[in-house]
Amino acid sequence: MRSSRAGGWIVTAVLVTAASWTLSGQGLPVTYERLLKADQEPGNWLMYSNTYAGWRFSRLNQITTQNVKNLRVKWLFQGRHIEKFETTPLVVDGIMYLTRPENAIYAVDALTGRQMWTYEHRNPERTFNCCGRVNRGLAILGTTLFMNTLDMHVVAVDAKSGRELWKTEIFDHTAAGGYAAPGAPLIVKDKLIVGMAGGERGVSGFLDAYDPKTGQRLWRFNTIPQPGDPNFGTWAGDSWKTGGATTWNTGSYDPDTNTLFWGTSNPWPDYNDDMRAGDNLYSCSVLALDPDTGKLKWHYQFTPHDLHDWDSTQNPVLIDTVFLGQTRKVLAWPNRNGFFYLVDRTNGKFLSAKAFVKQTWNDGFDFENNGRPQVVPGNDPTPEGNDKVWPGIDGGANWMSHSYSPLTKLLYVFAREERRVFTKNEIQHLTTDPNVAPTPAQLYNRGRGPRFAPEESWGKAIAIDPGTGTIKWEFRVVSPPWGGLMSTAGNLVFGGTLEGVVFALNATTGERLWTFASNGPVYGTAISYLADGKQFVSIPAGDVIVTFGLE
Amino acid sequence: MHRLFWIVCFVAALTAGMDAQAPQNPALAGAAPPAAPIPDTNPFSSPADIEQGGALFQTHCSYCHGSFGEGGRGADLTAGVYKRGGRDPQLYASIRNGIPGSEMAPVRITDEEVWKVVGFVKRLGSQGLLEKAPGDSTAGRLVYQKMGCASCHRIEKDGGNLGPELTEIGRRRGLKFLTESIVKPEADVEIAYRAVQVLLKSGQTVSGIRLNRDDLSIQVRDARDNLRSILMDNVQEIRYDKPSLMPAYTALNQKDLGDVIAYLNSLKGAQ
Repeated sequence: MRSSRAGGWIVTAVLVTAASWTLSGQGLPVTYERLLKADQEPGNWLMYSNTYAGWRFSRLNQITTQNVKNLRVKWLFQGRHIEKFETTPLVVDGIMYLTRPENAIYAVDALTGRQMWTYEHRNPERTFNCCGRVNRGLAILGTTLFMNTLDMHVVAVDAKSGRELWKTEIFDHTAAGGYAAPGAPLIVKDKLIVGMAGGERGVSGFLDAYDPKTGQRLWRFNTIPQPGDPNFGTWAGDSWKTGGATTWNTGSYDPDTNTLFWGTSNPWPDYNDDMRAGDNLYSCSVLALDPDTGKLKWHYQFTPHDLHDWDSTQNPVLIDTVFLGQTRKVLAWPNRNGFFYLVDRTNGKFLSAKAFVKQTWNDGFDFENNGRPQVVPGNDPTPEGNDKVWPGIDGGANWMSHSYSPLTKLLYVFAREERRVFTKNEIQHLTTDPNVAPTPAQLYNRGRGPRFAPEESWGKAIAIDPGTGTIKWEFRVVSPPWGGLMSTAGNLVFGGTLEGVVFALNATTGERLWTFASNGPVYGTAISYLADGKQFVSIPAGDVIVTFGLE
Repeated sequence: MHRLFWIVCFVAALTAGMDAQAPQNPALAGAAPPAAPIPDTNPFSSPADIEQGGALFQTHCSYCHGSFGEGGRGADLTAGVYKRGGRDPQLYASIRNGIPGSEMAPVRITDEEVWKVVGFVKRLGSQGLLEKAPGDSTAGRLVYQKMGCASCHRIEKDGGNLGPELTEIGRRRGLKFLTESIVKPEADVEIAYRAVQVLLKSGQTVSGIRLNRDDLSIQVRDARDNLRSILMDNVQEIRYDKPSLMPAYTALNQKDLGDVIAYLNSLKGAQ
């Protein structure tokens, strides 16, 4: 009796899998041609931002503004760790590939959440990640998955078996103050593009390309110009050697101009610029690179000589929009510094910038000087703590994905409104002699920064008209968020709050149509896919991946 | 078919095995890595060590915990309350190994330097140990009782829940802080004790301490110590304009004030 039931399950499983292949795609391998046309496979989620343009938009439309009220939890994936999920799963024809924070990969049935294989990379006891052990996801090419690790490796794993194919060390993770690689890599043509983190630890940033077949490094672009490079000398003294400018999130790619766009992090030390006079290129910038060679085509620096940790590591959004009556190919970039930028993505020309959160640091942009910000005095960190600065340390936007809907032609941003204390620390350079102690700092005698009340900061999902920077609607939430937004062809915007409220908004009006109290902080962004021909929405909440479907 | 059954069972057992293995990474399970036993008391706690610990704190900790230990992305260390234990070896373990499940990574300094940071962190959260109040603590205890402080504050097992526990307040807080808390309690209110007024659509008002809140509901400990949860659908407005439930005891004479501060200063707790 029991045996025949087991047989029945297997038959059912085979039928379900066959059905989902027929309905949603082609199975493996995922060729580069398929990645280029990822928007034509709405049943799958083939890369971090879904498509190379960085839209995080799903063309699926089974779940609509009319029926979203019937959305129910279909399954949970229990992380069984105490870290939080920040991963964006990939889905290929009914199989979901997701990463646990400490660099394990799981292949699960996207219909049921049942596990099929696991791969576990063993990190050393100590890794030097800034903000918790996190991993943000995978890339896929052919039948191979790629993952960056906290101890600075990139691994290739067979998508069918979970078997490791190769593992390459990106860099010594114990060098300087410590390196880590928490971001999702990106496949461009026959190359695997890999970023790195450590901007709080006196590292030196770079972006790498590897051969997906062998793991051999093909090029490295140093995000801080080295002696002899153009723009060397934008750092005083030796500060360029440990200036940060890391590449810890995922970039976007424009096949029309063959350009790879990747954002860079803050210069180091964050709040103390005594030793790093100059613009500190290419920190807080977008880099436009030739993916074949790793050569820089141009850059735009959003925050020259940053003092507030306002990383520009947001996922680049590539759209064509009407700006001053002309259709332009632009980068639409809500930046951590609180401004929404339009930059011509064919040449790096600054077009416009408009604040999308409260800000105190900027008094306009110098058009003669390609949009150099005009900085307002009084916003620098001070030894006593400057509590007058908006946005805060974590910025108006951060690493969480924005989303662009080609149907509404609106850009959706889950923004943070807050002020925080910026204190200029007596930081000693981590690479200087460790035996030389910094000047005595009996800081506990110096008083304290103000304690901000819960109502003094908040979050808001906003819809920006990219051509004008006008905010079309705003949906306010209790706390500044750490999750991003996904829009869908069902005219919906999905997201989740720090308190764990997962929501769906009407993409045209911002009206809240559906909620679910997951009670796990959402540090990540939703995806949508098909399994068994039905649309699902998955979002990380705490250490659980929650997957919703229609009743 | 029997064979098929066993294959299914075997696969299930394998999968269960994988699951069981997953959390065994000691850093994730919260276990300390195998090493020499951690001493019970800090071997590096001289004034010079603590001063050096302060400098190390600036370099390695202030990014999240604030330059003054006031907290930010990381916990407020000036309150002297430690979720993972405040004894020397517990603080050492938190700094040495990081805190799994939080954003706190292991700190990359030598073991000796970790101890120095432990000394500094303890100093941040033990301001009361540096000071001795001049008043009469025995008389202060009577003032405490007469004023009815215990209706909201707990000392060891006795007292209410509407205000912060005071069992170790004499260790954790200095005299200036204690004085301010009595005569101007709204000056520095812990987030966990923020007063809130919830105006309901029905016309009622619920006042108390804000326990939690999201976009769907708010949880309050009301003035009678009842736990209340209110759906935002039923809420007209949430007001935070009076940050503390505690009245300002400005009418207290100088002797009584000095004595009650001496009493609070005498509450050092078990540590």
